[in-house]
Amino acid sequence: MKQPKILFLIVIALLPLTLVSCISGSAQLAKGWAGTAVHEGIIYVGTADGRVVTINSSTGNLEWSYSIAPVTAPSSGLACGPTLAPTAIYGTPVVDRDIVYIGTYSGKVLALNTSARGEDLPFPQARYGEWEWDCPIANAKSNAIVADLAMSEDALHVASSNGRVYSLDKGSGDENWRREDIPVLAEKLWASPVIQGDTLYVSTLDGHIYALSLETGELLDWFFESEAGFTSSPVIDEDTIFLGSFDRYLYAVKIGSDVPMWKFPEEKPAGNWFWASPIVNEGIVYAGCLDGKVYAIYAETGEELWQFESQDSRGKPAAIVSPPVLVGNLLIVANEAGNVYVINSETGDGERIKNRENSDKSTIDAQIRAPFCAQEGLVYIRGEDNQLYVVDIEKGEVSWKVNLTIEE
Amino acid sequence: MGFIEVWYLIIGNPVLNVLIALSQLLSGSFGLAIIVLTIIVRLISWPLTKRQLKSSKTMQDMQPKIQELQKKYGKNQQKLQQEMMKLYKEAGVNPLGCLWPMLVQIPIWIALYQAIMRALATTPENLLDLAHRLYSWDIVNQAIPLSSKFLWLDLGQPDPYWILAIIVGGTMWVQQKMTQAPAVDPRQQSQSRMMLLMMPLMFGFLTLMFPSGLALYWAVSNIIGIITQYFVTGGWGYLKFRSPSQST
Repeated sequence: MKQPKILFLIVIALLPLTLVSCISGSAQLAKGWAGTAVHEGIIYVGTADGRVVTINSSTGNLEWSYSIAPVTAPSSGLACGPTLAPTAIYGTPVVDRDIVYIGTYSGKVLALNTSARGEDLPFPQARYGEWEWDCPIANAKSNAIVADLAMSEDALHVASSNGRVYSLDKGSGDENWRREDIPVLAEKLWASPVIQGDTLYVSTLDGHIYALSLETGELLDWFFESEAGFTSSPVIDEDTIFLGSFDRYLYAVKIGSDVPMWKFPEEKPAGNWFWASPIVNEGIVYAGCLDGKVYAIYAETGEELWQFESQDSRGKPAAIVSPPVLVGNLLIVANEAGNVYVINSETGDGERIKNRENSDKSTIDAQIRAPFCAQEGLVYIRGEDNQLYVVDIEKGEVSWKVNLTIEE
Repeated sequence: MGFIEVWYLIIGNPVLNVLIALSQLLSGSFGLAIIVLTIIVRLISWPLTKRQLKSSKTMQDMQPKIQELQKKYGKNQQKLQQEMMKLYKEAGVNPLGCLWPMLVQIPIWIALYQAIMRALATTPENLLDLAHRLYSWDIVNQAIPLSSKFLWLDLGQPDPYWILAIIVGGTMWVQQKMTQAPAVDPRQQSQSRMMLLMMPLMFGFLTLMFPSGLALYWAVSNIIGIITQYFVTGGWGYLKFRSPSQST
């Protein structure tokens, strides 16, 4: 009987080890994919090591950086207890004159003054208009802020993973109102709210679009309900909301209507979810899809104008996670494999920007998931390797890059 | 194709998709989906389980002979082992047979652990990763996002009240006790007692560390094991058996 017992003991000993070996692949930590914003020659970006960094767009030099307090990462499985980890940032910084606002996965909204941060004064400097707001957990699993902040004239609107929507005073960070009594919002609220006129629109992962009064936070009469949840943040053009769904369709919903205006594709669903927010320009919707394609669709009818497939370095379709950006009549598309394409928005003809060092490799040597921005022919992309890449559209190359990881 | 890709192609992704599809079929209840998946896994491994139970029953019937051998060769362990192996061989019983159903389930545990963490998508990265692993079935895509709530449990987190740990440990102890033959030799008795306690304690401990969705699988699997054992072997087996040393 000794042999079976020994084998039994080996199995018992191996079991936890086997389980541990698979933990890293399953319980992924939140790392963030903050996008870039450019304002008056300064690039603002949230980094993978939990900082807000500003870079001079002409020189590529660091202007200032602010490190957000690290968070305690929960342990998982047989991992050895909680550890300190950098705060993840998903939202793109919002810049208003000399203040930059950012929401964090640790449930904070920060208002950082460029002068105070440039002088490296202790945070927050109230006299400079700086403040920090802690989102309450409010009996939820998390207060993480994943969505972009929506800015109106004098307020910031925040959607939190605790299922609540908050309106904060831009000057002080004081709460103007909070919306917390919508049961369907009680789980993750990761889509960015959008403002249209005096209404704030919020879409949910469980397939609802709600309209809230921007002034008071009151729920307005109209809401939209879909069978499948919404993956992407909504985009509004005139009186129509465009957003992607888990059922692999892109929806166009007329505000005030109970039924979608159209669903795209018309026949069978796309190859995967429309994760990235679409953009709308002159009656055409441009939507990137996780199936690797970008689609141009007539906003009025939902008919396809053209489609373009993006690929990885092996020629296989690669997911489009970041929303496309329009520069004149050129559509800039970046896929998860690190390839950047310049596509004629009218014809759908596109070209990949080649890697300067090795044309067989992807445009940049890192995954691209973060939203990016463009200004004056330059595209500012934060790669998953925590480097900022500046792509010159006219030259068709990466002009320069800067490492956003700053050694203490 | 590397091992990881093969793993996800053959086990990881099928378990994930079946679990999500079951959840959609069961009114969005992820907990019920885990229970039904457990039943499916037990059905698939039924031929192995049946063989193990039959061998367990035979070993139970052989107990008087084994005790006789233990009395006879108690002081000569080597001889005792030889005689017992001979006895097993004659009866056509493999003492290692009880391990196979468990070994078969280990990849399922790992796949289930991964599936639970992925399906519940606690971070945006998890949700994005999920998109790459789902089949194009409507039923799967329409089920997202899943609710992690089931009874008092958050299936993505360990049970904070230890109830599941007690159930997992308790049911595992009962199941083992039903099959583990008591030893006559005092040294073997203490070894057996340790073995009987070690597994339930280990799994009770794991239940406190791992998502309760995985522990729910263990608990349901144990309960099914006890029921099938009861009916196949025709009773509670060694659970009601008193060893000779206890009876004197």
